[in-house]
Amino acid sequence: MWWRWFSPEAQKQRLLKKVEHPLARAYLETPFPDKKRNAWELDYLVLDFETTGLDASKDAILSMGYTEIRGGRVQMDGCIHRIIKLNIPLPPETVVIHKITDDRMNAGIHLHDALHELLERMTGKVVVVHFAHIESTFLHAAMERVYGQKLPLLMLDTLAIERRWRERTQQVIIPNQFRLGNLRNAYSLPRYGAHSALMDAIATAELFLAEMSYMQCEKDGIRLGDLLG
Amino acid sequence: MEVEQLEIRDYLAKCPPLTELPADYLNEVAQGLEIQYVRRGTDVLKAGGINHHSFLIRSGAMEVFLPNGELYGRFSEGEWVGYRSVMRDGKVSMDVKAIEDTLLYAVSGQMFLEMLERFERVRKYFTDGKPERLRRAIQEIRGADDGFAMITLHVRDLMKLPMLVGRNESIQQVARQMSEVNAQTAMVTEDDASLCGIVTDVDFRRRVVAEGLGVHLPIADIMTVNPLTLSSRDQASEALLLMARRNIRHVPVMDGKDVVGVISASDLLRSQSHNAVYLVGDIFAAAHVERLAELSKVLPKVMVGLVKNSLPASDIGQAITSIGQAIVRRMLALAEEKFGAPPVPYAFVAAGSLARREQTAHSDQDNGMILSDDYNEAEHGEYFRNLARYVSDGLNACGYVYCPGDVMATNDQWRQPLAVWRGYFETWINKPEAKALMYASIFFDLRCLHGDESLLTDLQEEILKKTKASTLFQAFMASNALSHRPPLGFFRGFVLDKEKDGSDEKGMDMKKRGVVPVIDLARVFALAGGLSPINTWERLDAIADEGVLLSQASVNDLRDAFEFISMVRLQHQAKQIEKGQSPNNYVPPEELSALERRHLKDAFEVIATTQTIMASRYQADRFR
Repeated sequence: MWWRWFSPEAQKQRLLKKVEHPLARAYLETPFPDKKRNAWELDYLVLDFETTGLDASKDAILSMGYTEIRGGRVQMDGCIHRIIKLNIPLPPETVVIHKITDDRMNAGIHLHDALHELLERMTGKVVVVHFAHIESTFLHAAMERVYGQKLPLLMLDTLAIERRWRERTQQVIIPNQFRLGNLRNAYSLPRYGAHSALMDAIATAELFLAEMSYMQCEKDGIRLGDLLG
Repeated sequence: MEVEQLEIRDYLAKCPPLTELPADYLNEVAQGLEIQYVRRGTDVLKAGGINHHSFLIRSGAMEVFLPNGELYGRFSEGEWVGYRSVMRDGKVSMDVKAIEDTLLYAVSGQMFLEMLERFERVRKYFTDGKPERLRRAIQEIRGADDGFAMITLHVRDLMKLPMLVGRNESIQQVARQMSEVNAQTAMVTEDDASLCGIVTDVDFRRRVVAEGLGVHLPIADIMTVNPLTLSSRDQASEALLLMARRNIRHVPVMDGKDVVGVISASDLLRSQSHNAVYLVGDIFAAAHVERLAELSKVLPKVMVGLVKNSLPASDIGQAITSIGQAIVRRMLALAEEKFGAPPVPYAFVAAGSLARREQTAHSDQDNGMILSDDYNEAEHGEYFRNLARYVSDGLNACGYVYCPGDVMATNDQWRQPLAVWRGYFETWINKPEAKALMYASIFFDLRCLHGDESLLTDLQEEILKKTKASTLFQAFMASNALSHRPPLGFFRGFVLDKEKDGSDEKGMDMKKRGVVPVIDLARVFALAGGLSPINTWERLDAIADEGVLLSQASVNDLRDAFEFISMVRLQHQAKQIEKGQSPNNYVPPEELSALERRHLKDAFEVIATTQTIMASRYQADRFR
């Protein structure tokens, strides 16, 4: 059937003919978790990027932070924080926001090394981010550069989960309420002061657990498909 | 990742007992942490289940229930749940439920047990029984030197303002200035105000008069150059040792390079517990009530000094009582000077904390007079009325205010011959009604402060024989003693009670909730055993010696609980006095460290346990 052509698994099969890098091939060969599976039992990689801007075609990834969720708990031993080495000097305004200076940048690693490492960890897991647009476009841009192709992603967005949930339960939507800090506040999660890609990834992971806990109460058991919308 | 850079690690570092961990091990704990979110109303652990994590609450709150369904405690940020099951091979015995949306930091059982094994202080935090924990807390507070809860006495608290003179001023000029303000020492300074020497009274005798030196010479010629100095932050006790070792009596006190004071050996000595002794001496020399009232004002300061010297609560009670009773005795001596010698023998008796020798501040006056049976109203009535009035008014002027319940010798009811008192006690013991029990709890703690002591001792002997024999009376006393129950502890800013959900009591009445229950327990057991001591500590000793009423171990636990609660109360009052407030019994939770709150919970549990022992012994609940 025609839709099979567009399904991620079919896409992956086609890409296997074009992609050579062994990590990318391993990623493509590993099936995504089934959408009917209990969402609490799955492994997640929760991800956050700091970037020099919002446009993946022009701007660059400054740092990556990620953590894992296994067995319904955020795992601190799965935490990774990587500063990416850039070939251009940092625009001063990004230094102010991310507190990543040129000196620290030079201590970082190259994008393709960071991406290899990330892709290996993503393999077989569901990726979770807050506001998927940034991570998905920057991740695709990086994949294109490193592997020559955009690899399909299985990505959950804590912001989208929240928006759908509120639309479905017909709650009033207020500007700014979907910002990470504000959403965390709504779930009585503690306020974190310092922002880094990793701290935001952990913050997103906790928010994701909170969202699942609340959805759990409405219906018995959540499936991965329920979260994908 | 650099876990050590994360806020999560910083949070762990602040939570007891992880505060005891070395930095690299703390990083390991942070690295191994798992984070879990629990929605309000969700059960985290169920009795009978299995659990392999110890949980530190990061935000939110949990309730823990005893196997019988009763609330055990409510825990919030920075507190631990679930660790008991980890230490018992994972067997869960208490239900744990989230009562708010809660974020938990879970430490794996393996890591938790390893941490216990490697770090003794962490192990003690989790494994010590309540009694051991309390005992250690008391020791730590006593031996603390870095301000752990205890306000230690420092040089700056005792020093006097220095007299500063220039090094070129003449010996005579300096001597004059010192005489004007009655100073014993002067600090000699350079032009830039830095200290270069010290002169004392003795130098004028030894170096000027004895040597025949000219009084117009500069003071620098006779000063002690570059004297030993102390910092204003030095501890008073250390300063005293140093001065004794070097045999010096006056030392300049510095704050960096500036002279900020001077301290003498006698300033330091006077600060020691003997303060009360000086005051009592002055009280017995007072010629009139106004002078007594003036001296009485010093009492709060004496109390602060005693607390700062880390004396046990029982000693502080004794010292403060010695002041209170000195005032009563002096007042009666003055009264007898005014109205003449008593026409018949009498005993002036105190009740309440003064009788028990457990005063901590000015208290209400509770007293009475036992008159000789030779008393006759028409002949002697006016004398004793006047005497009682004089003493009561005088005490009121001294800050020991009139008893709101009118339990005072001025009340005819409580100024009676021995035979009438005997009748009172017989009624209370034989017909223990509500009012009788109230009076009983007041008048079973009596002490003679003045007059013919035998009037009271004979009576007390008879009473004790009767109380020991009457289990019915004991049971009523026991049930009455259960009217003050200790709370479960604190939850956030509030007092947590077993029966009352969501108490709005902000701050804990340490007297009503902690001190009084122990006093009541000791009284009941003492009366039941026919034991004569009145002081709670002595009663507890006697109860332990008697051996039947309570086990030695129970008594020891109760002593520790009493000591800890008393100490918290005393420190709170000392802090209030230091801030210029009048002391009260309400300890706000924010004044306590997390550790102190935990110890208080332990202490309350000990009291509650002893109350249960008493209740089952008398089946006291029958009478409630």
